[in-house]
Amino acid sequence: MEYIVETKHLTKSFGKEKAVSNLEMKIPKGEIYGFLGPNGAGKTTTIRMLLGLMRPTSGSVQLFGKDMKNSRIEILKNVGSLVENPSYYPHLTARENLEASRKILNVPKKRIDEVLKQVRLHGVANKKVKGFSLGMKQRLGIAAAMLHQPELLILDEPTNGLDPSGIIEMRQLIQSLPEEYGMTVLISSHLLSEIDQMATRVGVVSKGKMIFQDSIETMRKFAQASIQVRVNDNEAAWRSLLANGQKADIGEESVTLQAEDDEQVAGSIQYLVQQGFSIYRVQEEKRSLENIFLEMTREEQAG
Amino acid sequence: MILSLVKADFLKIKRKGMWLLCLTGPFGVVALQMVNYGVRKDYLFEQMDDRWLYYILNINSFTPLAIVLGIVILTSFMASIEDETNAWKQLVALPVSKRAVYLSKFTVVSCVLFLSSVHLFLFMSGYGLTLGLGTDIPYLRLMEYSFFPFLAALPVLALQLWVATVSKNQAIPVTLGVIGVILAYSASLLPDWVIWKWPALSNDWDHSYINALLGIGFGLLLYLLGMIDFKRRDVK
Repeated sequence: MEYIVETKHLTKSFGKEKAVSNLEMKIPKGEIYGFLGPNGAGKTTTIRMLLGLMRPTSGSVQLFGKDMKNSRIEILKNVGSLVENPSYYPHLTARENLEASRKILNVPKKRIDEVLKQVRLHGVANKKVKGFSLGMKQRLGIAAAMLHQPELLILDEPTNGLDPSGIIEMRQLIQSLPEEYGMTVLISSHLLSEIDQMATRVGVVSKGKMIFQDSIETMRKFAQASIQVRVNDNEAAWRSLLANGQKADIGEESVTLQAEDDEQVAGSIQYLVQQGFSIYRVQEEKRSLENIFLEMTREEQAG
Repeated sequence: MILSLVKADFLKIKRKGMWLLCLTGPFGVVALQMVNYGVRKDYLFEQMDDRWLYYILNINSFTPLAIVLGIVILTSFMASIEDETNAWKQLVALPVSKRAVYLSKFTVVSCVLFLSSVHLFLFMSGYGLTLGLGTDIPYLRLMEYSFFPFLAALPVLALQLWVATVSKNQAIPVTLGVIGVILAYSASLLPDWVIWKWPALSNDWDHSYINALLGIGFGLLLYLLGMIDFKRRDVK
């Protein structure tokens, strides 16, 4: 598979503390990669290394199959980025802000109007950025990142400070990028719900380590519902289920069935009835992605 | 690449009053002599046979102060434009080398200071002509005292730019700058190797071009050190 981003044993230490350790990130072309992790997990540090802003303590970063160490400028020609809080020059207008980047990127002037329209800032193009709301500044940052139609767009918490309608717009914009321009997008967030609605691949990072990296479907499988059964004697029911070759866990007040389809659930219940248990409740419990994410990061912290 | 960076940097200093500063600095230096000569012109004329030279030396007693002060303000200013919203990260994530980013900042500050020197030349010659200092106008000497102080101040410029770009807190370069201004003010008491003395154009050999050459050479060295250090550092 062709990877747009590939890191190998990526490590960054600040003094004794390892902000990122042995991180292996792989992003195939055309994907929207959701980079998830709690605050302070090392997301921004990783992104800074992907952009060549920071030098890895060890390990390597490869973008488009080229090594960041040797061909930084060549790589960055195809990368657009928005890192953490948007950077801008408050005393300049939106247009002048983009012009400052445009001069360096060497793209035609009409791109400025195009990107301003894409993020719906064309109405305030000649106003000073000083007076913009945070959401407008964020959108300006995204406009600047897209100015040179990069192949890879790296957005660090892009929906920070946006209102709900702004978030929806941003989501639609980001989702359209791979189709329309063949862009690959890396988007970081500490909110799973946001990633869930946009990403096609997910990487979960905690304490500087990548603890999960796969397609969003695989992650959703973790979220499959489980069936909880409450009977008159939970422990005896659990034992008899196990003896019958069913997968089950015992909880404090119920037995949890790990069933893959409805038939299996029906079979297990039937079996319990035949064994003479009184069944009080059969209920479905959905594990949200949020829960999985919390469990993943908690396990990591406990270990 | 470097040319587009410089253009972008000139765009960024728009509306920041830098151009005004580049005019008021040299004007202030000449204005002080306007007061001086306005009040006691006859007395000053008697001080030296070469009235032009005496006038130029009077001007030059304040030029180093203005230049060092100007350098401190301009360099700290260039850095604060990027510091304000931490635009360094956005700038360095563009396809440019960090060396070019640094060179561009240095170039812009140098250009503004050079333009200041041109203004100084114009103001100094202009006011001198109205004073009736003599028909023999020493153009070469006027140029020498307009542009050599700038060249001799290049090490100060390189040092201040270095400190300003790597400091998160602009209080540090400004403090260094204040010390620099004091040193420039007490130039006559200092040994020749102190860089803040050089813009005063006085030395034991009595050749002002030595200061200018030393300034270029040592300025280049400090510039390179600053650039290497800037390149080495992580962008936060």
